[in-house]
Amino acid sequence: MIDHYDWAGGREAMLRFGPDHGPVVVLAMPLFEEANRMRSLATTLLRLLADEGIGGALPDLPGAGESEKSLEEDSLSTWQVSFSSAVCAATSGRSGHVAGLRGGCLVTGSAAARSRWLMSPVGGEAIVRDLVRARQAADREAGAVFDPGTIDLDGPPIELAGHVLPRQLLRSLRTAEPDVAAPCRVIRLDSDRRPADRHIAGAPLWRQSEPGDDPALAATLAADLAQWVRQCAG
Amino acid sequence: MIPEGQSEVEATVRAVLRDVLGLSETRAAAFDAATPLFGALPELDSMAVAGVLTELEDRLGIVIEDDEVDGDMLETFGALTQFAAHKALT
Repeated sequence: MIDHYDWAGGREAMLRFGPDHGPVVVLAMPLFEEANRMRSLATTLLRLLADEGIGGALPDLPGAGESEKSLEEDSLSTWQVSFSSAVCAATSGRSGHVAGLRGGCLVTGSAAARSRWLMSPVGGEAIVRDLVRARQAADREAGAVFDPGTIDLDGPPIELAGHVLPRQLLRSLRTAEPDVAAPCRVIRLDSDRRPADRHIAGAPLWRQSEPGDDPALAATLAADLAQWVRQCAG
Repeated sequence: MIPEGQSEVEATVRAVLRDVLGLSETRAAAFDAATPLFGALPELDSMAVAGVLTELEDRLGIVIEDDEVDGDMLETFGALTQFAAHKALT
């Protein structure tokens, strides 16, 4: 069901899944291009969770998804505030849990929730680095050179990997770390050897240029998340 | 686990290209040292280059500096593997 939520800066869309009572998981999508690549996984995950009797909500952040707002107006704190409002709207008296995929873990910070569940959380610096690299690779093909130091100078928004991004957003992202407020469970892929509560098999869909799906991975994640929510609800 | 040998690095590079570019197992397995990459694989556009480099860093525990990235290291599967092995094993 397509719902919406209101926040201080406007109204954004929010997909709702599963029962309208009992625990609900609000999922924070990855940032930028990775959100497109993981949207299918995210919706499959929330549908499977609904089959387990757990509600789900997938809010659009301002400037992302169906949002009519321009990304040029966004800062990291805008996303944190809007996500927090989405959690309030989705839970309203229910037991609320937050899940974050990749860079989504950077926007969940101020949200009031009973638990956090993070898949392959990533720091903001790595995200900015990816964006800069894509710009550098594109510029190299065109015979130009992009200096990442430009981000530290004041000036108009910068185009990185197809997004026009305010420099303040990039600077605030670079120092942002995943929100791991307890109780928190971290899942990573086998190929990623950073610490996690569980490592699972699968390919990093967020890196693939063509949006893909991985039903087996979605099923493993949904089962893990469902068990975590039940454990934290008790 | 830090890869210890050249063949392990090669397997990691192959897996990264397969995962990031969405190549079939068969196609990735057929890569040899002379297989051309950048400019020859339509999947390897500038966004994908960024993904390949970052994923290599994560899986091999290496850091690739901006000034090390050039057309030569991405020219063939052999060149990319050599580059990665040099970073990971020395």
